[in-house]
Amino acid sequence: MDLGAPYVQRALLEMLLLAVPAGVLGTWIVLRRLAFFSHAVGTASFPGLVLASAWGIAPQLAALATALGFGVAQEGLTRSRRLAPDAATGLLLVGALAAGIVLASDVVDVGAEVDTMLFGSLIGLTSADVWLTAAVAAGALVLDAAMRRSWLATGFEPGSARALGVRPARADRLLLAGTAVVAVVALDAVGALLVAVILVVPAATVRLLTDRIGPLRLGATALAAAEGIAAVWLADALDVGAGPALAVLGGSVFALVAVATALRTRAGAA
Amino acid sequence: MSGLRVSGLSGGYVPGADALRDVAFTAGPGQIVGILGPNGGGKTTLFRALLGELPVRRGEIGLPGPPAYVPQTERARLDFPVSALDVALMGAYARTPWYRRVARADRERAGEALARVGLAEAAGSTFGTLSGGQRQRVLIARALVQDAEVLLLDEPLSGVDGVSGARIEAVFAELRGEGRTLLVATHDVRQAAGWDRVLCLHRRQIDYGAPAAVLSPETLRETYGGELIVLPGGAHAVGVGHHHH
Amino acid sequence: MLAWLTDPLASPVIQRALAETLLLAVACGPLGVWILLYRDAYAAESLSHGMLPGLVLAALAGAPLVLGATAGVLVAAAGIALVGRDARLGSEIGVAVVVSSLLGLGAILALAPETPPRLAELLFGDLLGVDATDLAVAGVLAVAVALALAGAYRPLVLTGFDRGSARALGAVPLRWELALLVLLGATTVAAVQGLGNLLLLALILAPGAAALRVCRRLSAALALAAALAALAGILGLLLSYHLEIAAGAAVALSAVGIALVSVPLGGRPAH
Repeated sequence: MDLGAPYVQRALLEMLLLAVPAGVLGTWIVLRRLAFFSHAVGTASFPGLVLASAWGIAPQLAALATALGFGVAQEGLTRSRRLAPDAATGLLLVGALAAGIVLASDVVDVGAEVDTMLFGSLIGLTSADVWLTAAVAAGALVLDAAMRRSWLATGFEPGSARALGVRPARADRLLLAGTAVVAVVALDAVGALLVAVILVVPAATVRLLTDRIGPLRLGATALAAAEGIAAVWLADALDVGAGPALAVLGGSVFALVAVATALRTRAGAA
Repeated sequence: MSGLRVSGLSGGYVPGADALRDVAFTAGPGQIVGILGPNGGGKTTLFRALLGELPVRRGEIGLPGPPAYVPQTERARLDFPVSALDVALMGAYARTPWYRRVARADRERAGEALARVGLAEAAGSTFGTLSGGQRQRVLIARALVQDAEVLLLDEPLSGVDGVSGARIEAVFAELRGEGRTLLVATHDVRQAAGWDRVLCLHRRQIDYGAPAAVLSPETLRETYGGELIVLPGGAHAVGVGHHHH
Repeated sequence: MLAWLTDPLASPVIQRALAETLLLAVACGPLGVWILLYRDAYAAESLSHGMLPGLVLAALAGAPLVLGATAGVLVAAAGIALVGRDARLGSEIGVAVVVSSLLGLGAILALAPETPPRLAELLFGDLLGVDATDLAVAGVLAVAVALALAGAYRPLVLTGFDRGSARALGAVPLRWELALLVLLGATTVAAVQGLGNLLLLALILAPGAAALRVCRRLSAALALAAALAALAGILGLLLSYHLEIAAGAAVALSAVGIALVSVPLGGRPAH
């Protein structure tokens, strides 16, 4: 990988910056079981990304709009008790994907662009994207510092909370909002379908090794940074986006840690 | 009809961690046995063992056939699109081969069973729209359709409205008259005192026999531990976590 | 007006596509009702998304898609089952890790090679590209699933309605929960050619969701779901033909549209 090339530098910087919310908010995403929510926010943005590409507006803006729309629709459907939460989410996601591909076949050439939107691209990152990620990373640090005690205290389970008609407290709304914003800036690097590989997988891997929040946060950040750098190298070598590369790397590390800790537990119990 | 016999029964869900130890009793046809004990004390474990569903089990169980099981209604799904008649009809499923439709005779039995529990007009109602007491009665109707000689009932009267409760007790009397054996898990000591036998369980069998002999303050204390309340006049009450219907 | 409906049928491509969707409807409709009643929607989505590497490898090797689909579904199911056993993470996190890893693996396999396979077709389906063999495979699978669901009606009802009593009434719950997942896998394999692994979920969940909103009886819901799935297929193909949009996506959108229309109807709470 050519470290002198601007696109490589931007990609590396982006992944390092993303490691911060991956560690800081990823910890809460894993502890509070928000993996599916973060995946849904990313996936649902697909039609927004298609329109943004056609109309020439910033993809992050479109993604934020669809995230909002998705959240409102999902909450509305489940709060009214007319559809079960997992059915509502599944339907909204598949509807968003179908709408996106229909729009794409009319406005954009079905091909490389769709692949880029779904799976990210190294080359497509602009300086503006990186600056935005830096701002969100800083914001994530501030949010976590302010809210971590509340997030620990409130027992929050999105599925059952909504099913019971309970209004999530303000603290939990902030966690959801923060997760959505981070997903939005992550998706141009890793792709709309693979937001979980940066926001969930590193934190989940470290979660297998520790129960304590401090080490979990630091470990997830460090692991996300290391995997991110390796992913850029791999993605550049194979000429793919950072998302799939990170998925393979992160998944492999997770599998190794899972097997190792399971064997250790069995050996310890024997 | 031969009732049921249990001897040396111990077991649980995980090897090495018995949830229940040394249960031994005999209940004849036409007897109602009240099973008393705190939550987690082994009543459900005993039922699982009698149903043949307990993973770890030692000892012997003698049954005239597979028992019918009436759970608490919150175990059943309220959002399932089934009518009261559909649920009652489920009692006939075990004896219907997979390639046959349910027999007309069984459909009639299901209707009759609902009438016996006083729900003939509600046969077409969706199960989830019925009240707690009505749903409990539908589950009893299901057990009636099964036509088993032994019935296991898990707190069938807890939190149930007066009308349903009276109906259920009337059905108990009928079943007893037919020579069936009922095992009824309950927290109602006063009610158990009116039945034929009482079994006190707290992870092991504390006592078994006629209510007058078994329901002594010492036995109840040993069964319920600190949850026992003695009311003025010597009556006993048990404070336990409440199940909601 | 009638021409609007019958014009498309003149084309053999559309005829095969229509046959494919009608066959899939017979399986996807009723299966979706059971998936929703068993609260397995997340599993359905995870299986279909996680099968991507299998599809890509089959495309790269020039092997029949159904083989890749079957292998993909088996690997995804195994991964999900293994990770689900770890209590520390909870199944939601574990499944998310497995599915996103598999999706990414599939994408790398598809995007890295010199001559990449048509990834968009694997993701979104190639309904108009269905040939006679594909139709036969999908047909056999779909009919088998439909018959199996019909034969398993009573044990599935027992296990779904009151799991604790199922065994006493003649059905071992674990066996039938597993059977349903196997049928889900088979349906996923049948549907992936036409709708792609990202969109096939629509034909499974949407008609079932609509039928459950409207019907008070299970047997009616199962029948209506099949009919609505067929309707989604017909509607989708009409829209695809006249508006010149992707066929699989049009079917998926029609299905989701039918589900959303049903939401204000009916009166029973879903959970």
